[in-house]
Amino acid sequence: MKYLKTEIAVGFFVLAGIIAAVVLSLKVAGLVLNSDSDVYTLHAKFDNIGSLKLRAPVKIGGVLVGRVSAIRLDPKNMTPVVDMEIQASCDKLSSESRASIQTAGIIGEQYISITPGFYDEDAGTTYLKNGDYFEDTGSALVLEDLIGKFLYSAGSSSKKDDGKDGAEAQK
Amino acid sequence: MPKDGGSIVQIRDLSFSYSGKQIYKGLTVDFPRGKITAVLGPSGTGKTTVLRLIGAQLRPDSGTVLFDGTDMNSLSRRQLYSVRKKMSMLFQSGALFQDMTVYENTAFPLQVHTKLPSEIIHDIVTMKLESVGMRAAADLYPAELSGGMARRAALARSIALDPELIMYDEPFVGQDPITKGVLVELIADLNSSLGLTSIVVTHDVREIMDVADYVVILAEGAVLGQGTPDEIRSSKDPRIVQFINGDYDGPYAFHLKGSGDYLEEL
Amino acid sequence: MADFLGFLGRYFLKRVAALGRSFLMMVNALCARPDFKRHSILLVREIYFIGVQSVIIIIVSGLFIGMVLGLQGFNILKDFMATGSLGTLVALAIIRELGPVVAALLYAGRAGSALTAEIGQLKASEQLSAMEMMAADPLHRVIAPRFWAGVISLPVLSLLFTLVGIYGGKFVGVDWLGLDDGIFWSAMQGSVDLLDDLVPMVVKSVVFAIVCTWIALFNGYDCRPTSAGISAATTATVVQSSLAVLGLDFVLTALMF
Repeated sequence: MKYLKTEIAVGFFVLAGIIAAVVLSLKVAGLVLNSDSDVYTLHAKFDNIGSLKLRAPVKIGGVLVGRVSAIRLDPKNMTPVVDMEIQASCDKLSSESRASIQTAGIIGEQYISITPGFYDEDAGTTYLKNGDYFEDTGSALVLEDLIGKFLYSAGSSSKKDDGKDGAEAQK
Repeated sequence: MPKDGGSIVQIRDLSFSYSGKQIYKGLTVDFPRGKITAVLGPSGTGKTTVLRLIGAQLRPDSGTVLFDGTDMNSLSRRQLYSVRKKMSMLFQSGALFQDMTVYENTAFPLQVHTKLPSEIIHDIVTMKLESVGMRAAADLYPAELSGGMARRAALARSIALDPELIMYDEPFVGQDPITKGVLVELIADLNSSLGLTSIVVTHDVREIMDVADYVVILAEGAVLGQGTPDEIRSSKDPRIVQFINGDYDGPYAFHLKGSGDYLEEL
Repeated sequence: MADFLGFLGRYFLKRVAALGRSFLMMVNALCARPDFKRHSILLVREIYFIGVQSVIIIIVSGLFIGMVLGLQGFNILKDFMATGSLGTLVALAIIRELGPVVAALLYAGRAGSALTAEIGQLKASEQLSAMEMMAADPLHRVIAPRFWAGVISLPVLSLLFTLVGIYGGKFVGVDWLGLDDGIFWSAMQGSVDLLDDLVPMVVKSVVFAIVCTWIALFNGYDCRPTSAGISAATTATVVQSSLAVLGLDFVLTALMF
């Protein structure tokens, strides 16, 4: 079968489009193919998740081991629950491990950091399996709260006086 | 009215206006089947419009156009397209597809409407091109053709599907006398050999009077006169006489209406 | 005053009528039994004219826009000691806005105007009428393949533009100004999401493709068949497409991001 030059050119054009789409998803969006096949899911309850987003990284000591797969609210006690997909190769997480929400840099993206705990069969610790909850969690630090606390404690003595003066002046 | 074969196109009490200008008012005319009918008339009377109304490319304000007994304006889009397979039109410019060769142009209607294998299409196209004397130009593009050749090629394309009716829109405009003669011959030949009906819109009176079987003269939105060429030639109507003889002044004034007082304007 | 209202009313009615005609044109062009065997040849030819022949302008513009973004972004981020975010800046700016929008504007100027002029020329030289009289519906043979070719071509062009633009930014940031390659890509990968950024980009570009091609085809199909009419229609295509793209971009951004 003989093809025209235009047909070949159009073939190239469409192929280039497909390649561009694939490169964009892999290289730019950082999509990892067949990531679903070898992961297991862990859950963690937090008091406050800050501005944690879907697909935020999950790291151990800075090494990427998974991603946040869902963020929802436990309907019973109204606490946020985060589901994360952890790579199957990283299956030696003790039940004493701690999951905390950290911020990359002072205004960076938020991610979940896992601090591995000790493992001792005699003490009754186990490895976390698919569907388990982290016992020990640390909520997100909200920058505004921190600044607020800092300002309050630093200026509490002088502020009280200012308040009294203002109140008296009003009278 | 000619008796044999009846009329292929009947226009009844047709009114048409275009962008506010009344072009036809109460036009009633018949085109006999199997004959060459010449539609004559001064420029600007909308002779071409008649052809477009017959092809239902334009819709009349009122009145009916019957082709082969069917009302062209009552048809759905699909029905209209199937009726149009039975008619074809030779446009003033030829309207050949510029990106195709003469051969491909002629093959186009066959490829669209038939499922014939390409060998048979090749034979038909070659026959049609031969009948207009254009076989040697099959592989040329329309831009490489002279005006007369382009019209002959377009003619080959319009007879590709063996239509019942061919409408010629000003086929002689801008052609040298020899080409005019060739085209007149072709129109007459095709009409007799293929047994079709021809409607020729033109203002080249002398050329068409030789071959036409029937003449219709349109003016001022209605039929001014009709009959066989002999009847028209012997007509006493001064307007027809002026038109046929090409006198520069007469009932149709040399000066446009509403010119105003010449002296005053000066 | 009455004159003004009358003028406004007539203008409005004319626009509405044109809009109606353009809908009819599209409906008649697209609602037909597709004849894949015959029309695929037409489609391929039109993708060649609309898409393949626009590749050069798209790639060159994408490269330069990416490079300029890299340069400007670097100079601004430098003041905040945040040059590590250059990858994020370039990628998000191009994927979310510049890629689909600039590609659509270039498409309207390069392919849209050509489509209008071509169809206007077909109309002026009676080729469309000739098709109608040969019972070959020009809406199916002329309008429909061009429409589909446009809808296929513009998203592909946008993807190419985006990819080239990001590499243009990388070229300036990494290869010229000396940012770290790894930081550039990982910052980008950390903030660009397939579902939140790339898919909306393709959606935007499909919408722009439909609107721009539609405007171009209708202006050609509806133009006065004279030289002046064709040139007016071509201008109208570029102006209307550009405005439509920018307006729709705002709406789509508000809906999707």
